[in-house]
Amino acid sequence: MIIQNLTVRFGDFTAVDDVTLEIPDGRVVGLVGESGSGKSSLARAVCGLVPYTGSIEGVRRVQMVFQDPYASLNPRMTVGDTVAEGIRGRDRDSEVKRLLDLVRLPAEVAGRYPRELSGGQRQRVAIARALGGDPGLLVADEITSALDVSVQGAVLNLVRGLRDELGLPMLFISHNLAVVRYVADVVAVMHQGRLVEVGPAEQVVGEPAHDYTRALLAAVPRLRG
Amino acid sequence: MSLRWSGPAVAGAVIVALMAALAVAGPIVWGEAAERIDAGAILQGASAEHPLGTDNLGRDLLARVLVAGRFSLALALAATLIGAAAGIVLGTLPSVLPKRGARLATGTVNALVAFPGLLLAMFTAVVTGLGARGAVLGIGAAIAPGFARLTQTLAASVAGADYVSAARMLGVPRRRILSRHVLPNIAEPLILNLTQALGGALLGLAGMSFLGLGVQPPSFDWGRLLFDGFSRIYVTPEVALGPAAAVALAGIGFNLLGDALARAAARTTVRKMDEPPAPPPEPGEPDPGAVLDVRDLTVTFPGGSTPVRGLSLAVAPGEVVGLVGESGSGKSLTAAAVGGLVPYPGKVTYGRLHLGGRDVAELSDKELGTALAMVFQDPLAALNPALKIGGQLAEVAVVHEGATRAAARRRAVDRLGQVHLPEPERRAAQHPHELSGGMRQRAVIAMGLMGTPRLIVADEPTTALDVTVQRQILRLLREVVAETGAATLFISHDIAVVGELCDRVVVMYAGRVVEELPADRLADGAAHPYSRALIASLPDLDTDRTRPLAGIPGTQPAPDQVGPGCAFAPRCSLATERCVTQRPELVAHGPLQRVACWEVS
Repeated sequence: MIIQNLTVRFGDFTAVDDVTLEIPDGRVVGLVGESGSGKSSLARAVCGLVPYTGSIEGVRRVQMVFQDPYASLNPRMTVGDTVAEGIRGRDRDSEVKRLLDLVRLPAEVAGRYPRELSGGQRQRVAIARALGGDPGLLVADEITSALDVSVQGAVLNLVRGLRDELGLPMLFISHNLAVVRYVADVVAVMHQGRLVEVGPAEQVVGEPAHDYTRALLAAVPRLRG
Repeated sequence: MSLRWSGPAVAGAVIVALMAALAVAGPIVWGEAAERIDAGAILQGASAEHPLGTDNLGRDLLARVLVAGRFSLALALAATLIGAAAGIVLGTLPSVLPKRGARLATGTVNALVAFPGLLLAMFTAVVTGLGARGAVLGIGAAIAPGFARLTQTLAASVAGADYVSAARMLGVPRRRILSRHVLPNIAEPLILNLTQALGGALLGLAGMSFLGLGVQPPSFDWGRLLFDGFSRIYVTPEVALGPAAAVALAGIGFNLLGDALARAAARTTVRKMDEPPAPPPEPGEPDPGAVLDVRDLTVTFPGGSTPVRGLSLAVAPGEVVGLVGESGSGKSLTAAAVGGLVPYPGKVTYGRLHLGGRDVAELSDKELGTALAMVFQDPLAALNPALKIGGQLAEVAVVHEGATRAAARRRAVDRLGQVHLPEPERRAAQHPHELSGGMRQRAVIAMGLMGTPRLIVADEPTTALDVTVQRQILRLLREVVAETGAATLFISHDIAVVGELCDRVVVMYAGRVVEELPADRLADGAAHPYSRALIASLPDLDTDRTRPLAGIPGTQPAPDQVGPGCAFAPRCSLATERCVTQRPELVAHGPLQRVACWEVS
């Protein structure tokens, strides 16, 4: 799929400025940038949640996984009902079981409520719900930034597993360059509404071409030793 | 939702129960007495036979008041249900209709809310015809706009939730979003409002009858009895006061119960306080060189929840100690306990909690206010949005040190310059919202520097900031520590940030310290399996992309479910039988390191 000349305006403010970005089949494109860079607005435009100009071609359905797993699940609905929301005309129960299995959750959680699950488990439920909508593109907006480091790894592994198993293209958004480098095949760097650098992950991280990318890389905290 | 049985709640419940009983039994018991005409006892005042007197046909007024209860309450219930139903439908329309229709519905609600309720009631009653039906419709019409506004506001807040966006993307139809996502999540406050509206409807209906717009003879409700008795109020006041008292009592009852229900719903469950925790052991000799000296700090909450368990740590002048752990490890509550900020109903006990060699409990607010600087995650919440930056900083010096306004202001501008805020003069005259997140955090740090802090407690101060800004703030903190010689306790979930900034690192798990080590040994010298797993699960710019990322299976136990052994044992690959039953103490592991683990020490 390809995003062409996409622009998002809120009144006089231009959040996304003429962005063109290709998301190849079966690839994860990582989008990095700081708050206010326009990365979340771009994601919401791709999902059709905010009005935009420009075009998005070559994709049927887009589903999104949100940042806060504590706010993105309806507290009054069971996990099974939540996951089943996007399922159309298929056997509901077996489909829910298949989706939960895809995100490595036991089938028993279908009868539970979100409050009984940990943050990492909730995020898996949100991913299962999105997969139920049979997406042509999955948009993941900062899906690990509300999680503890100890469970972040498992969710990132899941994201990579879904790409390999389902060949599902993904737009993976994060402010954390190390996380994006780990899951993405292609990294796009966004700054003040514009894409300043796009390239293979290792190349962008190893030989950054743009000053802003270099500044971002220099600021990543590292353990000494 | 759990109801606390306070006095007003009990009174409300008792009155409402009595009213319900009266509505059921009243006409059965006193029905005949209320209709018995006695030509010999017309228009009498109070007597032993007729405690509230009689009316113009000699009927006993006490019996009539008791019988009228059913009709009055039934009318109030009908009016409330009509009003609530109409209001909820009107209030949900904006979330179901397309854009233009939604705007029209919102405008209608706005106009109705602006219209005086009683006027609306009277207007409706006159149009729909005098009598009980008109009055009920009128009061229903008066109640509806309030319900509509409440529904609309609640629905709008739920409609912005991520799960509603997700449902929209999945193609769930609007009606279904309303019934599955919106209504179930706003039902509770609506039901609570219903109880209070019932009290209001009762009063309103009595008012309508009293104005002659309500119930017409030969039917009668409390308002009608009041209307009939009112002309005699100067001669025999009891004939009017009886029904008036009934109306007032019922109205008060419903409102008290509604209030109590609303308060119970707003409050999180408060369980009974348990046995006080065992007193901490003798703390031993204080550390003379430490600014902050904590021994056996425990924070408990009712219901057996103990988020901090016998924690000890010391911070020397000019030292930056990082407290790291995942959410729920008790790190933030440790910081809160140091600043005396543990929220109710938490309980703090300690063997020793010394700041600058003195027990914090003995320090006055003024001393604590100047000796301790706290920096929080959200700088916007730490600053008052209505006040200018300079004024807020100056206040610290005015309140704690009695400085003059002018001197305090000069110092504020000076401190803003010290934290490298560009154009400090101009920034001092601005409000918090005019500054970026990083600038606000600088302003908060500057506020801490208004006194002469001996200890800086920074709780996740860079978590809400971008990496480039985070780097600047970390550098600033280092600089401030070097200049002031303050001891610093830096709390973070990010072990990389802690490793970069701090001299020493304290790793917390499930309320206890599991390891203490110099920060430069984190990368290769960490000994505790939890610390090692935490470091391994952190991706950095050199992580091997071909291999799966390490994680820690399972979850940290909740603060009320920590067992007798090592809390990490269920997630630990090295765990043995002993780890599950016996808790390892924190013991020396090399010269500068301490570890609480059976298997590595």
